[in-house]
Amino acid sequence: MRRAILILVPYLWLLALFLVPFIIVGRISLSDTALARPPYLPQFSWDEGIWAFLSQLDFENFWFLTTDDLYWKAYLSSLQIAITATFFALLIGYPIAYGMARAPEEWRPTLMMLVILPFWTSFLIRVYSWIGILSQEGYLNQILLWAGIIDAPLIILNTNTAVYIGIVYTYLPFMILPIYSALDRLDGSLIEAAEDLGCSRLQAFWLITVPLSKNGIIAGCFLVFIPALGEFVIPSLLGGSETLMIGKILWEEFFNNRDWPVASAVAVVLLLILVVPIVLFQRNQQRQAEEDR
Amino acid sequence: MTLRPFLQQGRPDLPATVFAPWADPNQKPLIRFQNVTKRFGDFTAIDDLSLDIYEREFFALLGPSGCGKTTMMRMLAGFENPTSGRIELAGQDIVPVPPNKRAVNMMFQSYALFPHLTVWDNIAFGLRRDSMPKIDLQRRVEEMLKLTRLEKFARRKPHQISGGQRQRVALARSLAKAPKLLLLDEPLGALDKKLRQDTQFELMDIQEKTGTTFVIVTHDQEEAMTVASRVAVMDEGRLIQVATPADIYEAPNSVYVADFIGDVNILEGTVRATGPNRYHFTWADTGESVTAASERPFSDGQTAHLAIRPEKVQISAERPEGAENAIKGKVHDIAYLGNISTFHVRVAGERIIKAQSANTRRITNRAFTWEDDVWLSWTPTAGVVLSD
Amino acid sequence: MNIKTLSMTAVLTLTAAAVSANEVRVYNWSDYIDEELLAKFEAETGIKLIYDVFDSNEVLETKMLAGGSGYDVVVPSGTFLQRQISAGAFQKLDKSQLPNLENMWDVVAARTAQYDPGNEYSINYMWGTTGIGVNVGKVKEVLGEDAPMNSLALIFDPANMEKLASCGVHFLDAPTELIPAALKYIGENPDAQDDETISKAEPVLMGVRPFVTKFHSSEYINALANGDICVAFGWSGDILQARDRAAEADNGVEIEYHIPAEGALMWFDQMAIPVDAPNPAGAHAFLNFIMDAQNMAAASNYVYYANGNGASKEFLNEDVIGDTAIYPDEGTLQNLYTTSPYDAGVQRVVTRLWTKVKSGT
Repeated sequence: MRRAILILVPYLWLLALFLVPFIIVGRISLSDTALARPPYLPQFSWDEGIWAFLSQLDFENFWFLTTDDLYWKAYLSSLQIAITATFFALLIGYPIAYGMARAPEEWRPTLMMLVILPFWTSFLIRVYSWIGILSQEGYLNQILLWAGIIDAPLIILNTNTAVYIGIVYTYLPFMILPIYSALDRLDGSLIEAAEDLGCSRLQAFWLITVPLSKNGIIAGCFLVFIPALGEFVIPSLLGGSETLMIGKILWEEFFNNRDWPVASAVAVVLLLILVVPIVLFQRNQQRQAEEDR
Repeated sequence: MTLRPFLQQGRPDLPATVFAPWADPNQKPLIRFQNVTKRFGDFTAIDDLSLDIYEREFFALLGPSGCGKTTMMRMLAGFENPTSGRIELAGQDIVPVPPNKRAVNMMFQSYALFPHLTVWDNIAFGLRRDSMPKIDLQRRVEEMLKLTRLEKFARRKPHQISGGQRQRVALARSLAKAPKLLLLDEPLGALDKKLRQDTQFELMDIQEKTGTTFVIVTHDQEEAMTVASRVAVMDEGRLIQVATPADIYEAPNSVYVADFIGDVNILEGTVRATGPNRYHFTWADTGESVTAASERPFSDGQTAHLAIRPEKVQISAERPEGAENAIKGKVHDIAYLGNISTFHVRVAGERIIKAQSANTRRITNRAFTWEDDVWLSWTPTAGVVLSD
Repeated sequence: MNIKTLSMTAVLTLTAAAVSANEVRVYNWSDYIDEELLAKFEAETGIKLIYDVFDSNEVLETKMLAGGSGYDVVVPSGTFLQRQISAGAFQKLDKSQLPNLENMWDVVAARTAQYDPGNEYSINYMWGTTGIGVNVGKVKEVLGEDAPMNSLALIFDPANMEKLASCGVHFLDAPTELIPAALKYIGENPDAQDDETISKAEPVLMGVRPFVTKFHSSEYINALANGDICVAFGWSGDILQARDRAAEADNGVEIEYHIPAEGALMWFDQMAIPVDAPNPAGAHAFLNFIMDAQNMAAASNYVYYANGNGASKEFLNEDVIGDTAIYPDEGTLQNLYTTSPYDAGVQRVVTRLWTKVKSGT
């Protein structure tokens, strides 16, 4: 009985937080847009029965997504932005995590706190504050102008650069924390052993430190990549009109076109694209758990 | 298991072919510490220490934790540099040489096996750094696997094998590059006692087969005595005594060494010469005296300690005839250890002297029991007289 | 921004379950009322007023179509109102509860009837035009003394725009404003409902797209007032606010609002009661309160938009009633056009066109 409940809880969790919303979205994606409340048909009614309802559903909206290059371009552009941002987050996050793991023991809680601290402030306010930093009259340009590094203000806000900055900044802790936890567990004598066996410092880093923090790197990359792919807030606040991301397209379908079915179809495809990395991530986590045992 | 010649080193009855390079002034040491001092901030880990270690030696650094033995080893490996002084390897100053350029390998206390690599790749790791040709590399790794009897586990990862196997992988890995010098940091510390004893002999065997110079760091005096050709007993960054295990045990040069190695009775008193190398030793508290031999000279009336091993003290019901030293006492306690028993005998002045006897008969037939009156006796050469 | 509005309304929706009979919830555009009126309403009626704001018709519409918003009074623009009425989002007004209806201005009521026949579902709150805001000094500096500041050519002729790009141009991020204007510029029907005509706007917009600094529906107020940009295509009241801010700041920036000579879009923000409003009686009380001549005048005096309340005119400040940018003269009024909502298929074409204009894809 106890065992049954233990097994049931995660499944109920999955059902309530993933499956039910997914079915609702999936069902809308198979409907047709209509001028009604809510704005799609068919609506389920007990009188007509379940078969009459199901027979009206079709995959037209998914087919529609293939008729306009906008959609696959937006998916591709989102992928590219998410991958690039993940790469930069890794590039910046790894040295930070490495520095934290090598820092004296008594400093580490403070450093950890500094990494987590931004989460205490609203995500929106933090993104808004980047507008203040990056705008043409913003602090960054003022400092650079004052220092004489540039003559005319840099145009960063409303470009893809600002989107990268926003995504990397926002998700950096998700990159740092798993890598830090991997590096923290790394036995320092392994590095000494590698040096003892003929490695230079750099070789020891590539041959020992990097492979042994691989799981942290993978976890960090997924934790940045997955939310970055569907990101809407950051590109809409920091990005320019050229920034093409699927989150923004979804917004337009939903709000501007009032086409909930197509918007749902876009969301379902996004989810399917995400399922691959999520499953890979899950597997990585599982393997790591097994290795730790 | 072949008996190693140096197990009997220093015994005058053995022929001159015995392995004792330290006794030969013409021998050049492999390693030479010259007035080496190492400080960490205010703390002096190594204090103006000089030491020679010779090729093919199995040299043990023995001492309590914090005595500086690990620092010595880390300086040899290149992970620490001396604050002052010189360290030579085969006549060359190695202080400026980084760890990866030294012909020295180390077996770590934690083994430090690379968890992401197989046993095979762990062993091949050092060889790959030297860009050894593939054929030679394979041969060398196979050789090492065979030496350490790990052939069957070559494809396993470190977490898939037992502690003893891991220890052997660590050994194979550190030996693979055929270093001039192998450093072993508490190599057996993580093994249980039975496995440790087996492995000790295996280590000796491998050392002999490969002819590599081993320097082992240990806090386990039994281990040091078993494996080493010479033992250096350290305390507070200084060498107290450097000698063969037999000499360390039989002829400690100080109360510290006598006390650190094995079980010992240490008696306090004064000495007076009675003949060549012969002294009267008078106990400080009761005034009783015994005869003791010593090659070290003492002046009359000098305070000294007499260190005598329990196994060299005979216990009997009657005073043994012709015994030069015999003291009467009462059995206070008996520790039965299976093969031997240790008797704690209370003698005059409430002093306890320990005597050991082999249990050649069954326990029910034991000659003495609690509160029996007994005699303790020993020969004049049984004990060692030590100055303060 | 949309996000801000979304999060605010999310909070409100959460609390909507606990609505009591003595509360009325109003959802209006941001910066669109004199807040003293809110206190006055509570004092006069004893009804607790919960006032919440949005800044995009799309957000409002999504709430109306999803249903259960918990609001009693909402303020969609004309075309959005029309579509939401057909979707069944609103309830008919009970005119017996609205004695102040007699104050309404027939000229405006005639035009709003296009969206809400017989004005059965809504009353006009404010109306305005979409036109050109210019930083007079800078535009003359770039284009010379005879710059066509009151013509759509200023913003749709690439030759002008290329030069203006150096001092900055903002466009509204609203296809339903820009596409009719572009059509008007090339002499097409701004209220065209067919794909073919609408697609004629594309080359016009694509031609000037490279010179547009930003597509945004509110940032231009500050940008114009600070002198960061020299031209904005935006809403009349917003540009007039920029004009006043620049004057207050006394920063040498002189802003003017021009209704293009070719004609401009006339838009209406209508107050309506959702079909599932928790407190329809309170909603009617609020509408009646707003239609009071003095109250309506106070609102217009505050936000610089014209209203649809004829009786309020005598209480309007001279700088409101006397400004042809707010209350255009008869000739100009005749030149203003209105649009009607696109159906779903055309809406998609419009959105797609707009995405292409903004992102080039």
